[in-house]
Amino acid sequence: MPNLTRRSFLATAVALSAVSVFPKNLMAQTNDVVVGTWGGTFGDLLKVNVDEAVMQPAGYNILQEISGPVPRRTKLISERMQRRGSMDAALLADFDMYAAAKVGAVEKLDAANVPNYDNILPFLKKAHSVPLIYSAHTIVYRKDLITTPPQSIAELWNPKYKGKIGLSDFLYTSNMAYAAIHNGGTLSDFDGSEKGVAAWKELDAKLLPSTEAVGQALASGDIWITIISAARGYSWSKSGIDLGWVVPEEGAFPAVYEAAVPKNARNPEGGMAYMNALLEPSVQKAFAEKMGYLPTVKNGHISPELEEKIGFSKAEQNRLWQPDFDFILENQAKLLDTWNRVLKG
Amino acid sequence: MAKLVLPAGLLVLLLLGGPMLLMLRYSFNEYDPLYIMQQAFTFENYAKAVVDPYYQKILMTTITVALTCTVLTTLLAYGPAYWLARMESRWKSKLTILTMFPLLVGGVVRSAGYLALLSTTGLINATLLGLGIISAPLTLLYTPGAVIFATVGIVLPYMILTLASVIESIPRQVEDAAANLGARPATAFFRVLVPLSLPGVLAGASLVFILCMNAYATPLLLGGPQFQMMAPAVYEQFAKASNWPFGAALAFILLMVTVILTTVGSSVIAKRYKAG
Repeated sequence: MPNLTRRSFLATAVALSAVSVFPKNLMAQTNDVVVGTWGGTFGDLLKVNVDEAVMQPAGYNILQEISGPVPRRTKLISERMQRRGSMDAALLADFDMYAAAKVGAVEKLDAANVPNYDNILPFLKKAHSVPLIYSAHTIVYRKDLITTPPQSIAELWNPKYKGKIGLSDFLYTSNMAYAAIHNGGTLSDFDGSEKGVAAWKELDAKLLPSTEAVGQALASGDIWITIISAARGYSWSKSGIDLGWVVPEEGAFPAVYEAAVPKNARNPEGGMAYMNALLEPSVQKAFAEKMGYLPTVKNGHISPELEEKIGFSKAEQNRLWQPDFDFILENQAKLLDTWNRVLKG
Repeated sequence: MAKLVLPAGLLVLLLLGGPMLLMLRYSFNEYDPLYIMQQAFTFENYAKAVVDPYYQKILMTTITVALTCTVLTTLLAYGPAYWLARMESRWKSKLTILTMFPLLVGGVVRSAGYLALLSTTGLINATLLGLGIISAPLTLLYTPGAVIFATVGIVLPYMILTLASVIESIPRQVEDAAANLGARPATAFFRVLVPLSLPGVLAGASLVFILCMNAYATPLLLGGPQFQMMAPAVYEQFAKASNWPFGAALAFILLMVTVILTTVGSSVIAKRYKAG
């Protein structure tokens, strides 16, 4: 029998356990998919319907990296020159995703790497991202306090609602788009937006710090009318607030949330699988039922009752604006500056 | 002995000095809407922040709130600090721990609590409405008063504990001697106790002033979007406008103003009391 000392026994034991553990760990790392996303209800829905229902059975382990959209976009842009990025999939609003795609930070997608890609509704199809959900920033109002549904954008400046108009500070781009359209501008120049914002100030519009604060203000009657996504209107009305929402005759700002795979993803295959999973009808249905956002795929069917509540008619869909992302990207800081100076200065 | 400082010093240099130097460099860069920033060496960001009346107003609001909170905190903390310092009961250590208790809860959580207290449907309004004292809810939230009230509540323990430790080191006999020599309680307080406790007042006031100047969660959650202070304005440039160079310039202006005001304020007060 060879002479086995205590030290050599320990060394052998450690080496053997390392051999048995390492490949397992390496395999686990290979199957890890880091997803940059929002938290809260959004993150929870992804966890239950995508991570646990689709990705885990396929052998992937999803790690949610929760942050705000701008830091996530900044990360995509600033990490693009690095060999390996920190995310395998990133979820962003359409405008932020446009910026990331513009600097070449995300992979090109098609039916070859995302089989469900061909199911995407034509008006939402893009080369570098898949749309997870969509809605529009419409006029949302208290039905019990405003008995005649507002038809025009002009209602947002109706002196009748002085002190009862709510503005989400977070949605300054959409709010300024509305102000521009109301004052003869376009989405490629935002002319007149400053005038519209100043008029809101004259009308004592309430500036609210978050989407949740808008919901609370609508519930308490502090505000009667605002610009927010129809999806939010739907989910708040489910909690008992008497709300209505309309796409005004002049149109409304679309709200599309997308996902993409960074070019330097550590696990691009996992990232692509995640893109495909997001387009599964079951996932689309879950987001529609819980959050009121519309499916982005042809096979994402929801019940006629739900469609009636959250859907847009063909005419409404045609009225949704086509934002000029190049203009917004170039002028985002300037728009925010104007918004702040007029309303907070 | 100097070697003992080395590990902590290196850690500070690495984790504080390094990122700050990097941010200082960023503050001289040019903003780029697509790529966040471009390498440059321009004072434009500092010039904009200093000259622009909008940012001047934000800085002035920040200084006013910080000074108001510091004065209020000092006035409110002195009594409890004196009581705690002179206490000889077995409850003293428990009360000291109780004073520290609010510090165990983060600023964001406490501000969220104040939201529930001050909102239109919050506890204060509900009570006043219930008692029939008011007929319509008061606007307590999203006001400068809400920010000052909550900030004072947050920084009060720092001041009480700092003052108490200094007052404790002042011999009680000094107060007795003043009384024996005919000084009234108020005279003994202002002519004996306050000058002797001045190092504690200055240390506590500096600490509180720095905390208030850099307050982020409280002004953001309780002041609302129309109430602008520097720390949320810095964050907004980084996280909303993606304008890192300007955000970095604002951060350094905040840092410089805080350092200057704290240093100058402390030395002026100390000199005035010594002269008196």
